[in-house]
Amino acid sequence: MTTPLKTTPLHAWHVGRGAKMAAFGGYEMPLWYPAGAKAEHLAPITAAGLFDTSHMAVLSLRGPAVRPLLQRCFSKDLERCIGVGKTLLTPGRCVYGVLLDHDGQVLDDAIVYQCGAHDYLLVVNAAMGEPIAAHLQQQNKKNPGALIDDHTDAIGKIDLQGPAAAKILARILRDPDQVFDKMVYFSFKGTFAPQFLPGAPVTLLDGTPVLVSRTGYTGEFGFELFVDHKDTVRLWRMLLEAGAPEGLLPCGLAARDSLRAGAGLPLSHQDIGPWPFARNPWLFALPWDEDGKGFTKEFIGNRAVLAARSTPCTLAFAGFDPRKIAAGAASQVTALDSTPLGGVLTCTTDMAIDRVGSVVVSIATPVAGGRPESFTPRGLCCGFVRLDTPLPPGAEVLLTDGKRTLKVEIRDQIRPDRSARAPLAAMLAA
Amino acid sequence: MKTIDELNLPADIRYTDDHEWAKPTGDTVLVGVSDFAQDQMGDIVFIELPAIGATFTKGDEFGTLESVKAVSELYLPMSGEVVAINTALIDTPELINQQPYECWLVEIKPSDPGEYGQLLDLAAYLRLLRG
Repeated sequence: MTTPLKTTPLHAWHVGRGAKMAAFGGYEMPLWYPAGAKAEHLAPITAAGLFDTSHMAVLSLRGPAVRPLLQRCFSKDLERCIGVGKTLLTPGRCVYGVLLDHDGQVLDDAIVYQCGAHDYLLVVNAAMGEPIAAHLQQQNKKNPGALIDDHTDAIGKIDLQGPAAAKILARILRDPDQVFDKMVYFSFKGTFAPQFLPGAPVTLLDGTPVLVSRTGYTGEFGFELFVDHKDTVRLWRMLLEAGAPEGLLPCGLAARDSLRAGAGLPLSHQDIGPWPFARNPWLFALPWDEDGKGFTKEFIGNRAVLAARSTPCTLAFAGFDPRKIAAGAASQVTALDSTPLGGVLTCTTDMAIDRVGSVVVSIATPVAGGRPESFTPRGLCCGFVRLDTPLPPGAEVLLTDGKRTLKVEIRDQIRPDRSARAPLAAMLAA
Repeated sequence: MKTIDELNLPADIRYTDDHEWAKPTGDTVLVGVSDFAQDQMGDIVFIELPAIGATFTKGDEFGTLESVKAVSELYLPMSGEVVAINTALIDTPELINQQPYECWLVEIKPSDPGEYGQLLDLAAYLRLLRG
């Protein structure tokens, strides 16, 4: 017997708007709407896109024992994780990291939000709320005092992503100047549940409480918004209406996947998973000490990660045209002479980029930065491979799924000129 | 995603189980993919077509359509020789999403014109779609 798929508060809206629906993480979610995945990939790069991400799991962790619990279970050192100065996590800031097991293998990736002195949120992937809560409860037994609750079914989450995101959001917030003041990348304001989760109130024009986080999963400038379950559809409609002048598009999971791959971000349980979290592009999630050889704290998996010197190496790649292969068990990476090198984790197409000579250019690349005046990219295949031995950027390998073989290039970056870290004030003024 | 009632399904062409269509034009037959196929695939971003002069048996794979999420093989509805390919689609494959019946992919000279009669007419194709 198969478990029935869960739905988000926006499910009826998606179906009513003609979305192509598919199962993901135990939920029935939109893959794309009638505008199509290409338009939905381009919108958050040129204007703005709106994503229903209510399938993601949200845990609250409350009590004096939470910080030591997170220090043991989460990869970032919460006392040394903010900015170049490596200052401590404080209320209003959030950090990305991973939760590992004792073998250094990834249970999930997550963002930790500090809401109050002893109050935190942990946002993990779809279907991971229960297992991560159970893992934390297990660890909590050693030093009880953390109250862990799963809010996944009680909240809605909407991502507003793209260079126009701040202008659009400003139109529906009661006090946008106050909300946007000093709102740096990976900071947040407000709360979706004032009755138990502290935070200076942030409300929509109609008084609805909202948590506004300057984060996202597209590589582009924008926000993740958390509201009570019952407010989700209203917030979605308000945003679409407010964003109509900029051409705000609802975007499905296909665009979310191609945008994140082009931005070099991992999909948990696909690009990171049950193998040691080492030799990959995301080691910034670890609490490195000043000389970059050890860690500033002890945490679950730390020894295994430091010892994992021979684990296969995960690398980003981009191809030479939009063609893909099917990633997964049947896929293989080989050298140009067909010597086996490893497997393919993610293979998708970033429709916003193409090659101009040997340089990868995006529709967001300034003309002065190398974008031709008339640039209509066909898209490039891109993603992540896992190889037995490292290869330098620029190395060429073959991907095959048994049906077709594609030549691709190992790269540090895939889609250039992403807007995620652009200053908010500049985005409002643009 | 379109409902079956929203699909554009001309009655003057024939269809296959794999959602290609065939349309006789004198001695030759034009081949494309149905509105249902393009709607299921989503945005088509790349197309691979055979060389002119290639010969195939009915049901052979003759090319691929690449959508944003997957690669779909194309199967020839009738045996024959490729006499033309629609080169305009190579730079603008998205036209297939917009006009699936104007966008023929290959033109073939059938080796057995009688195979056309074995393809699905509109009523049979609708039965297939409705399951």
